[in-house]
Amino acid sequence: MAEVKGITRKLKEIHEKIKAEIPWEPVGPTPMPEIPDLRNWDMRLLKTYAPFYAPFCDLCCFCTYGKCDLTETRRGACGIDIGTQQARWVLLACLMGCSAHSAHAGHILEFLIERHGPDKKIDLGGSINIEAPHIRTVVGLKPETLGDLVIAIEYVYKEITHLLDSTNMGQEGSCLDYESKALHAGMLDHVGMEVADIAQIVGFNYPTSVADTPLIDLGWAAVDKSKPVILFVGHNPATSTVVIDYLRENNLYDQVEVCGVCCTALETSRYSDRAKVVGPFSRQLFFIRSGIADVIMTDEQCIRTDMPIEASKAGSALIATLDKVMYGLEDASEMDTEGIVKQMVEDKKHFAILDPRKAAEVAAKVAMEIAPQRRKEWLTEEEAKELAKNCNVCGMCEQVCPNLFNIGAGIAEVAKGNFDLIREQFNLCVGCGKCEAECPRKIPIFKIMQVAASMESWKVRAGRGPIMDTEIRTVGAPITLGTIPGVVAIVGCSNFPDIRDIAEMVDEFAKRKYIVVVSGCSSMVAGMWKDADGKTVYEKYPPDFEGGGVVNVGSCVANSHITGAAIKIANIFAALPLRGNYEVMADYVLNRVGAVGVAWGAYSQKAASIATGCNRLGIPVILGPHSSKYRRLYLSRKEEDDWRVMDARKKEIVDTGEPSPEHLAYVCETKEKAMVMIPKLCIRKNDTPQGRAIKLNHYISLHKKYMGGGLPEDIQLFVRRDPDIPLVYKKEVRAYLQEIGWQPKEPVGLPTFIGTYPSKVPVDAVIH
Amino acid sequence: MSAVIPYHRVNVLTGLKSARLIEDAQEYADLIQKARRPLLILGPLLLKWSLDGKLLIEYALEIAKAANIPTCATAQVRAKMAELGVKPDSFYDVVEIINALKDPNWRGVKKEGNHDLVLFFGIRSDLGEQGLSVLKHFAPHLKTMTLCKYYFPHANYSLPNFRKDEQWKAFLESLIDNLKKGA
Repeated sequence: MAEVKGITRKLKEIHEKIKAEIPWEPVGPTPMPEIPDLRNWDMRLLKTYAPFYAPFCDLCCFCTYGKCDLTETRRGACGIDIGTQQARWVLLACLMGCSAHSAHAGHILEFLIERHGPDKKIDLGGSINIEAPHIRTVVGLKPETLGDLVIAIEYVYKEITHLLDSTNMGQEGSCLDYESKALHAGMLDHVGMEVADIAQIVGFNYPTSVADTPLIDLGWAAVDKSKPVILFVGHNPATSTVVIDYLRENNLYDQVEVCGVCCTALETSRYSDRAKVVGPFSRQLFFIRSGIADVIMTDEQCIRTDMPIEASKAGSALIATLDKVMYGLEDASEMDTEGIVKQMVEDKKHFAILDPRKAAEVAAKVAMEIAPQRRKEWLTEEEAKELAKNCNVCGMCEQVCPNLFNIGAGIAEVAKGNFDLIREQFNLCVGCGKCEAECPRKIPIFKIMQVAASMESWKVRAGRGPIMDTEIRTVGAPITLGTIPGVVAIVGCSNFPDIRDIAEMVDEFAKRKYIVVVSGCSSMVAGMWKDADGKTVYEKYPPDFEGGGVVNVGSCVANSHITGAAIKIANIFAALPLRGNYEVMADYVLNRVGAVGVAWGAYSQKAASIATGCNRLGIPVILGPHSSKYRRLYLSRKEEDDWRVMDARKKEIVDTGEPSPEHLAYVCETKEKAMVMIPKLCIRKNDTPQGRAIKLNHYISLHKKYMGGGLPEDIQLFVRRDPDIPLVYKKEVRAYLQEIGWQPKEPVGLPTFIGTYPSKVPVDAVIH
Repeated sequence: MSAVIPYHRVNVLTGLKSARLIEDAQEYADLIQKARRPLLILGPLLLKWSLDGKLLIEYALEIAKAANIPTCATAQVRAKMAELGVKPDSFYDVVEIINALKDPNWRGVKKEGNHDLVLFFGIRSDLGEQGLSVLKHFAPHLKTMTLCKYYFPHANYSLPNFRKDEQWKAFLESLIDNLKKGA
């Protein structure tokens, strides 16, 4: 009885927080879910998509009982085995990522509430009524003001604490339960990201309810180095927007060049389309070392930890503007502005300044004072050649290259006056700088590479935030029927095997009338290629969320709008209630929305968390080869696994034998393989014969293009009946099916996992 | 245990249990020939790397033929094999074949039972090493071996870091000869 009372009291508290009395939708079974509430859904996912662990090392060194050897059947001093230890690592990575976005959300929310007050209305424009699909689904709250967003972010903070608690030594002993917790963290991450971006759109008046956002100048060649240059690095626009305000108010904006690397660049260009985007994270060190930035302003997340050293070497001034990254610098937030400027100019001293207004004033003044005294020229080819001659091709650089290429060979060619190889290698470079650090002869590899690098500039479309409800109404039916063959979200960081892969992927799938959505560093890199007419993918394809469109939602935190669009399809198109109804939304997305994420250059813990959040929502994610280092994938075995679903209309369990989607988290070694996996992972059991034929047409044609002739070896698993076979391959596929003794099977009317595992959700809840 | 430092030091970290380093092609050939059901996994670097103008895929196919080892083509290797007029025994991408190999009850690419020796050839070293780690930790029923020119600590048997391609070439040619003799 006491327990019942406890549950009732807890539910009552939740209902108060989410304002359950406002009847915009009935409250579903899991408002503000805690760790156990969606565990059964997770276990159902993990039954088909089992964790695949690739340990980095044999040991656990988390506590003072260790190091513990976990090889073979050994367990650690606490009893943990090697699989569970990997799952613990994954949970920790997801928590780091989720915390980064959520703390960003919390900070920016506090900043904007200070500026506008908690009652500032959330208005995302006339085309967006479902303003916060994640917050509505997970939290059960319809946020109307900035103050309401605080309720959502406080829920996320609380859950993070509980999850982190479970990683302390001597607790959770099941890898599956750790995975369930990682999935929980991933889901929370999307809530946190949504809070951040909604707050930013409302508080900074970013573009919203519009597709055709401005085209922004992209690339370091776009930066006017003849002016004083202020560079923003990181993710949080609190300070960069204030710098622009300061420059505008003081009529300095024409005199100072403002640019950014990584997501702050994207955020700043949403605030002012005159701000330049230098490029992704992988170009950060190159640009810093070029010395073009007079003042570097860091905020949080993807920033090099050696920034003060690099800034000093380049002769740039550095201001750390957020408490998360202070570099041991003196906190000058309370100091006199003129005094700070004097020390920065005369003594070359760097400071932390946590007051954005003061940081803005100091940055502008320092940039204008030091710029005229600084040399900002690239090396000449002749200078590069002379420096390269110092290389004795010892191979140390190759040994430490995370992307495994031989930069020494490129440098040796430069010494001979040939820049072709190093120009090619620049496309493979992830910009970590390990090669230069390892070089026994201290050759300035980055500066030499920069001589060969492109001095071209391009365009990236400014991030537009959420997908509009009006767009969802138009594409909902064709996506779920399969006649738009899929939504391909090419997202995330810049640890690419080859930077050129991204634009090629965007072009391939936009051309084939998939909806292509991009974000973060991938959105910049997508723009770093021009076709024969000199057009980037942003100029070549429409910016609309429709077949053949290329949509840039914005920075990392805008990833929540991609997953949010999948929820909106269930809610707006299929009219399924979303409030506190996560399982129904995720089940709909998994079984009926042909969406796939591609995080080709994922490097951060944030990427791990975002991807894991996609997975809980039923969206598969393809990762590049480096991502095997995340230690865990979710893979099925198509021939052996359980592909049964409930046909909700007939209330019957049907063994489809169809592995759709085949995997939830998958690593491809090559771009060619990814090109084939993308269309395959867009296949869903809900496809109509017409839709399935379109999807299989792309699967087969891309397989033939990249895998070299022949049909995909598993094509029979995706052909239900003859009308599923694409017309153009009818003869070939029929002959193959006949040869292997294929038998037709009935498509499932309304496929769902609900009803195949223990859940409070009745099967009827998925019928719309 | 081995004190050898892996070639790609950033990506490839050692643990307590490291591969046995073998430089003798005869010893490699003996291990392969002792295996009841070996499997050769062919990675996409075989299409990129060459030794004296001969693509590595050609060496790989000679090894497969000499010892009658079934092959698994990963990534886009299948396309090149088709050009060379050879059909692989199976097509899986690298994480998929490893996932299958983990299962002791898997029937293998020939449907004759899971493999007892898996040879990795031409997979980029970071992904390859992680894949070998999966098998090291979760597939005690099989052994792994590598044919690339670097040391892979997570394998059971690995070549050393060959400083010169000529050494690697000589090893592969000797291996092929020994396998032919053994056959």
